[in-house]
Amino acid sequence: MTMQGFGAWLYETPVSTFIRDEIWIIPSVQSIHILAIAIVVGSALVSDLRIAGILATDTMPNVVIRRYLRWMWISLGVLLITGLIMAVGEPDRVLGNATFWIKMLLVAVACVITWLFRRPLLDPDFELEHAKWRPLVKPAAWLSLGIWIGVIFCGRWIAYTV
Amino acid sequence: MDLTALFQFLEETPLALAIKEGDSAFPWLESVHVLAIVLVVGTIAIVDLRLIGYASHRRGARQLIIELLPYTWAAFLAAVITGTLLFISNAVRYSENPLFLIKMGLLVAAGINMAVFHLGAYRKIAEWDDMLPPPLSARISGASSLSLWILVVIAGRWIGFV
Repeated sequence: MTMQGFGAWLYETPVSTFIRDEIWIIPSVQSIHILAIAIVVGSALVSDLRIAGILATDTMPNVVIRRYLRWMWISLGVLLITGLIMAVGEPDRVLGNATFWIKMLLVAVACVITWLFRRPLLDPDFELEHAKWRPLVKPAAWLSLGIWIGVIFCGRWIAYTV
Repeated sequence: MDLTALFQFLEETPLALAIKEGDSAFPWLESVHVLAIVLVVGTIAIVDLRLIGYASHRRGARQLIIELLPYTWAAFLAAVITGTLLFISNAVRYSENPLFLIKMGLLVAAGINMAVFHLGAYRKIAEWDDMLPPPLSARISGASSLSLWILVVIAGRWIGFV
């Protein structure tokens, strides 16, 4: 089955039709999506500013990261759920849209970088000064923030590249 | 003063026309606007949650406010600039959009709420800096602020749907 065929089939399903017919669903789900983005990017920003040694330098990095990582993962869950609702409701808008798939790829990359680089930092015994890959931590933090910003831009551009 | 005439004038300026008729100016402005607002809401949420009584990455409320608010203001400035540019591209229609007017009202309310906090409970922050939860007036300010900004985002998203 092709992507187009799958999209056409999905479009006709009762759940997809319901999401589109109840006109309050998509704007409301989009609003929740935006608020969850605020939590993810706000958390990423504060964590990255700490890792970069710019903000909250009187607090241990693992304390800062631990506080925001939990918020990030919960909000990412909300983003996936709301995103799924939007995709199911309007498959024609996203499934054949390159911008959408680029966005999904960027999300995956940002999650992997976050997982790889922040989780070791959570361990209070982790000696950042002695880790072999220490020089990569700051660039990785800024890179993941940059990727989240790219995700935001892709998200807005989906509507313009249908 | 006839505001409609003013808005008509604004949307006929070369700048406004360039945004309205350009290929990608509007989407790019929207994307930067989204990035700005997620940073405003994300950073304000950290402070507001602390005011409500949830510890952030540090216990002291005063230091949290001092270290985060510059980022909030910078992001807010970007939001106002991009928002103004978006507005002038279709000033008359936006000025007649009830959700746009509601959003502007909510922004004013958020500003007033912030002023009340800074002139009130914040003046005595040395007394309650470490308290969890803080005094009632601080908790109300935090809850009001968070609620208002969430409503700002929702109203902003609904502008495009009415």
